[in-house]
Amino acid sequence: MRSVVTILTIAAFASVPLWLRDPYLMNALITTGIFIIAAMSLNLLLGFTGQLSLGHVAFFGIGAYVSALTSLGFDVGLPGGFRVVHDPWPPFAGFVLAIIISGLCGYFVGRLSFRVRGAYFVIVTISFAEVVRLVALNWVELTQGPLALTNIPPMALSLPGFGELALHTKLQNYYLVLVVAVAAYLLITRLVRSHFGRAMRGLMANETLAVSVGIDVTKTLTLAAVISAGIAGAAGSLYAHYIRIIDPEVFAFINTVTMVIMVITGGKGSLAGTIIGGLVFGLMPIVLRPIMAPEAQWIAYGGVLIAILFVLPRGIVPSLTQRLSRPHGKTAAVGRVAFAEHSAKEHA
Amino acid sequence: MSEFLQHLVNTLVLGGTYALLGIGLTLIFGIMNVVNFTHGVLYTFGAYVMFIVVHQLGLNFFLALPVAVVAGWILGAVIELTLLRPLRGSDIDTTMLVMIGAWIAMQSGALWIWGGVAKSVATPFPEAPLVLGPVSVSWLRLFVLAAAGLLIVVTYLLINRTRLGCAMRATFQDEDTASLMGVNVDLIYTSTFAIGSSLAAAAGALLGPVYVISPQMGDLAAVKAFAIVILGGLGNITGAVIGGFILALAEELGAGYVSSGYRDAMGFLIIIAVLIFKPTGLFARSERIG
Amino acid sequence: MRRTIKYVLAAALLSGTASAETIKIGVNEPLTGAFAASGTYVVNGAKIAADEINAKGGILGKKIELVIEDNKSNPTEAAAVAEKLITSDKTPVLMGAWGSSLTLAVMPKLTEYETPMLVETSSSGKITTSGNPYIFRISPPSSVEAAAFKNIVDKLNLKKVDFLVINNDWGRGTADDFGRMFKEKGIGVGLVETMDQGAQDMSAQLSKFKSSDSETIIVTTSVDQLTLIFKQAAALGLKKRIITTGGSQNPDQIIAQAGAAANGTMHLTTFLPWLPDKTPNPEATNYFISEWKKRGFDFAGCTESFRGYDGIRTVAAAIEKAGKAEPAAIKAAFWDVKVKGLNGDIVFHKSGPEGKESGQSQPNVYLIEIEDGKVGLKNL
Repeated sequence: MRSVVTILTIAAFASVPLWLRDPYLMNALITTGIFIIAAMSLNLLLGFTGQLSLGHVAFFGIGAYVSALTSLGFDVGLPGGFRVVHDPWPPFAGFVLAIIISGLCGYFVGRLSFRVRGAYFVIVTISFAEVVRLVALNWVELTQGPLALTNIPPMALSLPGFGELALHTKLQNYYLVLVVAVAAYLLITRLVRSHFGRAMRGLMANETLAVSVGIDVTKTLTLAAVISAGIAGAAGSLYAHYIRIIDPEVFAFINTVTMVIMVITGGKGSLAGTIIGGLVFGLMPIVLRPIMAPEAQWIAYGGVLIAILFVLPRGIVPSLTQRLSRPHGKTAAVGRVAFAEHSAKEHA
Repeated sequence: MSEFLQHLVNTLVLGGTYALLGIGLTLIFGIMNVVNFTHGVLYTFGAYVMFIVVHQLGLNFFLALPVAVVAGWILGAVIELTLLRPLRGSDIDTTMLVMIGAWIAMQSGALWIWGGVAKSVATPFPEAPLVLGPVSVSWLRLFVLAAAGLLIVVTYLLINRTRLGCAMRATFQDEDTASLMGVNVDLIYTSTFAIGSSLAAAAGALLGPVYVISPQMGDLAAVKAFAIVILGGLGNITGAVIGGFILALAEELGAGYVSSGYRDAMGFLIIIAVLIFKPTGLFARSERIG
Repeated sequence: MRRTIKYVLAAALLSGTASAETIKIGVNEPLTGAFAASGTYVVNGAKIAADEINAKGGILGKKIELVIEDNKSNPTEAAAVAEKLITSDKTPVLMGAWGSSLTLAVMPKLTEYETPMLVETSSSGKITTSGNPYIFRISPPSSVEAAAFKNIVDKLNLKKVDFLVINNDWGRGTADDFGRMFKEKGIGVGLVETMDQGAQDMSAQLSKFKSSDSETIIVTTSVDQLTLIFKQAAALGLKKRIITTGGSQNPDQIIAQAGAAANGTMHLTTFLPWLPDKTPNPEATNYFISEWKKRGFDFAGCTESFRGYDGIRTVAAAIEKAGKAEPAAIKAAFWDVKVKGLNGDIVFHKSGPEGKESGQSQPNVYLIEIEDGKVGLKNL
């Protein structure tokens, strides 16, 4: 049943370019799609391990910079008189390197920051993202700092026998984002259904109990952090090759906020929720733009966010599924254990 | 040497303002476990109240300060009653996101009402600085330091010497027991948020005239406040004061002797180091997980 | 709610009927976010130009209509706004996008849709040197300012200078270009300090200058940070000569807030609203300033908003010259435009790689000095 829904949803998204011709809306769908991929990776951490990272944009930005620098080349001096000179590589190599290097950063940040929990974890992750932003801003020789990396080539696929296929058009980029999104979705779904996924949910429900039954907390959380960071890096790479210019503002806090909004309003632990939350908040500015003043658009954005959390406190998808399955409106206990059971059921 | 002395004087002046930013947030963060993203907006609000009272109502500069404190208290109470009370018992990230929504909406509201052009407030203090040998400092900053010190002492006494403060501390340590012992937890939460908010507004009213007033001014202030709270430990007023001075010292020396580009990185690097080696903050009284 | 929808529908219908008879110009500016104040100034200047042109009967027998969109001070949004203006609103030409990273993010869209854009504020050298033939810029990159300053630098008797610049392309570019020029002239370059875009406390950086061996500080940043720097320098008892660059200064505000400390400071600027009769086009300058005041805007905003005014007048001139409101014709016509701007003639010269040159106009640069609380012009 679930796989039928999944296939139908993918088919529906794949059919969009057949009937939607407006390039402005296609552009909005592509950028929203990139942020949804990043938000899904954040959901792996937040929804399945309960760790709220407010520095997720760091991995997104690192992916963007790695991919852009790989495809543009650089020449940088390191302490001790070394020089590293790198000639431009194809963008696809940048995409792969972005995933690997973001994943590695996820490993180190995870090892360090999983020593703390709750509010402290939130602040450590914000601090990490800010430090990375300041490095990108001030290491001018490598990143060109505020002068921005420009003329980043569009993503290109190497096809054996056909040479390089550069993805210039919106249609190509839309399908590229869709393919990466589906891959990320399937990867995360597989992971949460595996042994590791059960360990993660156990950890979220009751850490002490999980430890007592032999779950290796740090190993489990670190694995989630690596995969999450790698996917965010992939999204950052797509961003760099689509927008084709990046500067340290790619690390802006508002980008993390956007991802967190997509995850929590959609429903923690529900990937379908992230997609719906992402579409709602990614496309809302498009709807608001023609009908109100610029400042009012932001007020409405904040207002809708608060309203959704008040009406559907557990997020759009979990709250609605619950209401549909309990037509008499009996309220379920809203607790972490009940929620973990719910998400366990959802993914069983 | 004279440069070093000037950096120390700057640290003292800047640290006082950072401490003031930190104590309001540490109360809310520590007692209510709410990641309060409206702290920066309340700071901005206090600064605009100062501007309105002095320039639009034409009243006295010193009268504007208590007005800002009261206005911040009221706005804080309203936010708590309308946005936080209905969500009591929700996850820390749900309340955080509601606070983010309020932050976005209120900041844009400020932009809508007052526009993006920065405002400045005239003060009754002389332009010429106080010069002491190789160092100098403006009279306005000295006044701000004194006022911040006074507010910090008052808050400290409020928490440690009054019945309300006693109930707040009890709620911080164990909400259920406090409730069983007859503490009105709802009232404590509203009071805590209102006090924290009035301190943020007071900080804005004091610093608005020092700097310039714009809708964005609270963002940077809020980031610093979070850093200070983490350095000092959640809910720890003394810790927040010391954290404020440590952050100011790190920034001054970082900009003075390392690189001004990394000035703002100093605070974050300290936080990362502190949390890795002493995960509960430098001066935490009790560990709090959740 | 229903009323809002009705209102929106009415507005849509009105603009639908109006569009048949108007020529649209897309305006892509930051109206919210970090650069909201500046973006709003530029838009207000642009509106003065549009009203003035329409009052005189418009161009090609049609009125012009500004389609103003907010890019939220965010490069992703700036690109999306360009997409909307070009494909949904069908504007044949754009003006934008204030900040350099915003403009750089729009540039691939211009190539994609072959639509020209007039750049009114951005200063990054990359904008006109990266081979985008749809870019026509009226603001000077810092190299142009440095070249203008080079002509008079001998008269100022500089020995050694420090820099305090905003940490973005504008500030960094100024430090690089001016630093190179000073070295050619045998003037020493000491400290180069930066400040973050939103920073409010620069005391640490200024304390460093207090004990450095330079006698002059070059400062480049927005008007708000300039005001703070003058206040804080006065509080620290910093008594060195300060020269500001970048053209967003507002000496009146500096005089009002820094008092005596402002005396002897010099400002490299591209517009002279304080001395309208000394500008290359006094009539237009006086009209613009009186209209700006009549609309109740802050005088301080003039140094930003005149670029929006000049920008729209230049775009209108290009459309008129093209004879039709089509992107390719307007792009070609930009090369033949000669507009008497508020800071000199706007004429585009080729810049960047051959065959794909961008247009760059060379505005006048002035050096003003504050003496006894008054603004005076230094001869360049």
